Amino acid sequence: MDLTALPLRAAAARPHVLLVTTPGGTATRLAAERQLRLQDLPQARTPADADVLLVAGPECRGLRPAIDRLWQSLPAPRARARAATPGALPDALERCRAELAEPRGLRHAEHRHENPAGVGPDEGPDAEFGNGRDERDGDGGGAHDGHERHDGHGPDGGNGGHEGHEAGEYHGSHDSPGSHGSHESPGSHGSHGRHGGHESHGSHSDHGDSGPPWGLPMAGQGEDRDGLTLDQLHVPLGPFLADWPDGLAARLTLQGDVVQRLEFERPPVGGGGSCPPFWGEPWARAAAGERVAAGEGARRRAAAHADSLGRLLAVAGWAGAATTARRLRDDLLDGASSAELRPGVRRFARRVGRSRTLYWLTRGTGVLTAEAARDAGVTGPAARADGDVPARYRTWLAALVRDVDRLADRTPLDPAEDGPRGGAADGRWPSAALVRVLPGLLEGAELAAARLVVASLDPDPDELAAVPREVDA
Amino acid sequence: MTETAAWWSLLAAPALLLAGAVLAVAGDALLAARAAGRPATVRTALRPLLEVPRLLAAQPRRLPAADRLLWRLGVVTVPVAAVLSALVIPFGGTAVADLPVGVVWFNAMEVLTWAGLWLAGWGPNAAFSLIGGYRFVAQGLAYELPLMFALLSAATAAESLRVGDIAQAQHGLWFAVWMPLAFAVYLAGVLAFSFLGPFRYPAGEDVAAGVLGETSGVDRLLLEAGRWLWLTSGAAMAVPLFLGGGAGPGLPGWAWSTLKTLAVLAVLVWVLRRMPVVRADRYVEFAWVVLVPLTLVQVLVPALVVLGR
Amino acid sequence: MSGLTAAVALLGIALLGVGALYAAARALRGPADPLPAGPFNSGLAPSEHAVSRFHVRWYTVTMLFLAFDMEMVFMYPWTRVVSAVGASAVTEMFVFLAVLVAGVVYAWREGALRWT
Repeated sequence: MDLTALPLRAAAARPHVLLVTTPGGTATRLAAERQLRLQDLPQARTPADADVLLVAGPECRGLRPAIDRLWQSLPAPRARARAATPGALPDALERCRAELAEPRGLRHAEHRHENPAGVGPDEGPDAEFGNGRDERDGDGGGAHDGHERHDGHGPDGGNGGHEGHEAGEYHGSHDSPGSHGSHESPGSHGSHGRHGGHESHGSHSDHGDSGPPWGLPMAGQGEDRDGLTLDQLHVPLGPFLADWPDGLAARLTLQGDVVQRLEFERPPVGGGGSCPPFWGEPWARAAAGERVAAGEGARRRAAAHADSLGRLLAVAGWAGAATTARRLRDDLLDGASSAELRPGVRRFARRVGRSRTLYWLTRGTGVLTAEAARDAGVTGPAARADGDVPARYRTWLAALVRDVDRLADRTPLDPAEDGPRGGAADGRWPSAALVRVLPGLLEGAELAAARLVVASLDPDPDELAAVPREVDA
Repeated sequence: MTETAAWWSLLAAPALLLAGAVLAVAGDALLAARAAGRPATVRTALRPLLEVPRLLAAQPRRLPAADRLLWRLGVVTVPVAAVLSALVIPFGGTAVADLPVGVVWFNAMEVLTWAGLWLAGWGPNAAFSLIGGYRFVAQGLAYELPLMFALLSAATAAESLRVGDIAQAQHGLWFAVWMPLAFAVYLAGVLAFSFLGPFRYPAGEDVAAGVLGETSGVDRLLLEAGRWLWLTSGAAMAVPLFLGGGAGPGLPGWAWSTLKTLAVLAVLVWVLRRMPVVRADRYVEFAWVVLVPLTLVQVLVPALVVLGR
Repeated sequence: MSGLTAAVALLGIALLGVGALYAAARALRGPADPLPAGPFNSGLAPSEHAVSRFHVRWYTVTMLFLAFDMEMVFMYPWTRVVSAVGASAVTEMFVFLAVLVAGVVYAWREGALRWT
């Protein structure tokens, strides 16, 4: 047994963290990204590579099934925590690492989770640090079964029977939630039953021996623009994907790696949307009559653009520039002065704006003319750019350079001035319009290009949660 | 003529390759730390090695309807092919086996990773992995021919496919000097078959690490090790092909080989974070319309030189 | 040590190393039972098996590639006889290559090298 203690300590020394953000969790996400960067804790892209599942942001009922599903796929040793606010973050991470290092923790967890009746309380969205443990303990509960079924698992819920006994997520559809049998592995825990319950709702028609393997159909055929009838894959982007607006779920129909159709699901319900979005906060306060300095708005907007640029560059696979963008963002939010920031920002803007390679790789993708943007109600940089992905990132860069010069501006902020993603017209946040134009831009694009286009518009999940009805329209 | 080494070189070659890969990983960690604003210390450089115990301790995962045999086969193929490619790479004046068709051997081993990586993408029965696997094939269709012509440029100039002969044929004037295009294309090819840096398209962030996305534990360790072993092997092969092998003043051959290999490796590691990922749908066109004709002209140059000798 | 012996021996050593890693993992890992996991799929359950007849839109490029790859079979031995055979070797090889490149140009004009 001592043989296993050493590798466990190694895992605890440098665990890979799967960071997922719930709507309203932007501030926590920023703090988490900074902490992971400074402590050299790599961000995992998938559960397979993760040791820690870190949920940043307030409780969101609609996203719980997806988070639980991710957790279920994390191999042991593993730990899980939620940080509802930035302040809760260091403790949450520290506790996760302690749990990874403690060799008995694993077996301890097994015992705890073997109890299928471990119904946990549904914590309020404001609960902080303690929440992490509660969440982990609490997800054995079947409390959410009824009302969560439709939230994140829309159109294709009815796939076949689920008689598979091998994979955790496919079993249990005909068991009552929580009554899982002996095929549970020790590392998995009590949420399985519930999982089966909501992830496999739908027809149970082919329960017989002749059903498809693991209760899943094979990919079906579909028409294609090449005139070939080949298989289509239905691949969701989001709710949780690295460098994606977390919480936003798009269902892609792919043939090869070309997007044929794209539908957005309803934004997740059940939390998050009450307070103003982090990036739009100065404008919301100014609109509410509070006196906010224009420099504060410029700082928030510049940081938002740096964040968006970091995401776009990460999707483009330019690791060095993405890190620079995120460091600039963190410096901006730390309150660095114009004079401190100016040389770095200028250098960054020059390097990215003039990069021929990046231009070559992104030009011609996702063209959104000013006219089309206006028709869809898009305002802000995406409308001003009036063009393709390079036009949009160059607009961000120009705005970033401009805003960094205005950080000390003490005049009052005009609430009608454009926020990071445009103006908040009649109380609606501008990101909803960005999502509205996406299907038209993405259909027919190659998958990597599609991701670049989404990143170049970068709808803010906080804003989307604040106006749940907008995306539907 | 390069000597064929004693039996213990069978152990030394993989060990040296592994040491080079560890150095490359450490160098990459230092660059990453500097970019991220962390102190660049020895500890920083060695931290990525914690991956080894971390991945060894991980619980195995079982995916629904995964093709475990082919998946495992693919995963194992990548590092094993990298080690096998080192068979013909001379270290100073000694190679494990200086095959008369050494260049072809290296090329063949490199193409094995096509199969390996595609299988690694196919195996887990997961959409992003599958897309990643196919991405590598698309990328291969783009990088492979220019890379082959670059290898052929060196072989034509030496009129031999034996790596030792190629190194010897560069007395005084390195092929990298008078065939810079072939050298550059070869280095790009090294990044491409190690699917690192600008060529990590099959394992891109945009598809949640693609072929790597569903691998965990030893499988992941092997694939990750495979990439860095390939990077090292490619750097080591650049030395006899383009940089005069172990020849150099003052120092023994093995020292020159080591120095040159590390220099090439440093350049490759430095490039990793400095470029966006080159998507195959753009690169295929560039490779076929620009690189293939250019590298063909590059092969013509040594052919004419050889005729004129 | 002949080339073949060395190659086989190196393969054996590499496989031994791989096997040792798997054995080490077996000894070190905590729970030995595999975790029943699902594919990542951005957090949602998959709606079908991912293994499918993937529509490779670059299939025309594979045809071009095959043509060149066959040509490589001739070109490797050709490198060894350039000076022995003389100018005719170079002429013939590059006329052949020119024909192939003409094919590439044609395919390019037809849009075979773009698929999005």
